[in-house]
Amino acid sequence: MISTVTKLPTAHRRIDETDLCGWIGQAAPGEALEYYRGFLAMDTFSQAKRLAERERAELVRLARRAWWASEQRLIHLVQRRHGADDYSYLAIARAKPQQASASLSSLLLAEVA
Amino acid sequence: MQSPISRADLQTLLYEADGAARRLIRKLRLSKDDLADVRQELLVDVIARLPAFDPKRGSLGAFAGIVMANRAARIAHKVKRERRLYGAVPTSLDETLPKGDGATRGDFVSEEDGLSAYFGQPADAFADVERRLDVERGLGALDPDDARLSAALSQSNIDELVDRGHAARSSLYRRVKNIRLALLAAGLKAA
Repeated sequence: MISTVTKLPTAHRRIDETDLCGWIGQAAPGEALEYYRGFLAMDTFSQAKRLAERERAELVRLARRAWWASEQRLIHLVQRRHGADDYSYLAIARAKPQQASASLSSLLLAEVA
Repeated sequence: MQSPISRADLQTLLYEADGAARRLIRKLRLSKDDLADVRQELLVDVIARLPAFDPKRGSLGAFAGIVMANRAARIAHKVKRERRLYGAVPTSLDETLPKGDGATRGDFVSEEDGLSAYFGQPADAFADVERRLDVERGLGALDPDDARLSAALSQSNIDELVDRGHAARSSLYRRVKNIRLALLAAGLKAA
């Protein structure tokens, strides 16, 4: 269950993929972030013209990055419906996966060789 | 090119440097061991400026005196600044402390209080190890090709990699952007 949903300050600008990654990097498991509010499928559709092209491109990057992070098992992606064409898109932080570390020394030695 | 200085001129310079160095040592209460260094610094400065010496405007001694006075003022400023930073009386880290059971002053200075930390360099060995583990964990989260690119970028810049035919510039910048975001999501911020 989500206890709190973090809302980044969106009064001046929407969050971008860097904000999302920064949040993922420091979020504790179970923390949630509303990374977008609207109707993602329509807002990212170029013919719909619901957003300026620059904003739409940024939103596409954000959505792809959220999808990438969920594929990496860093977050769960869920949405909450508020009304017609109005959804909150939430990222919920997962426990960091136990990935194998890469040896820094081996990589650097391989590069020098 | 200026003709080499005569033996008499050299004597004049040595005499002026000797006098100026002694005055400075006395004024700043420096150790006698510093005399040779100060004298040399004054001499080097005046020799470097000799091409600007014009005999029509005054004697070599007067020229050397002005140059050395300026240099001495800068040395005095430097010494005073160092004293403000490190204290008036320098002490050795190897100095044995009284009633210290053989311990030296350096034994009681932690890494966080050391000179490296003072100048903002990382001094915490544990933090260094943790950072390295974090970096290795972050590299583990990358695609192997991207991890190799990261290693390559620690030795070369993008231009050099492009010249060596690694990939097109735009492709490298796009991958670097993705690597930065992947590391950020793994909890690693750019330095």
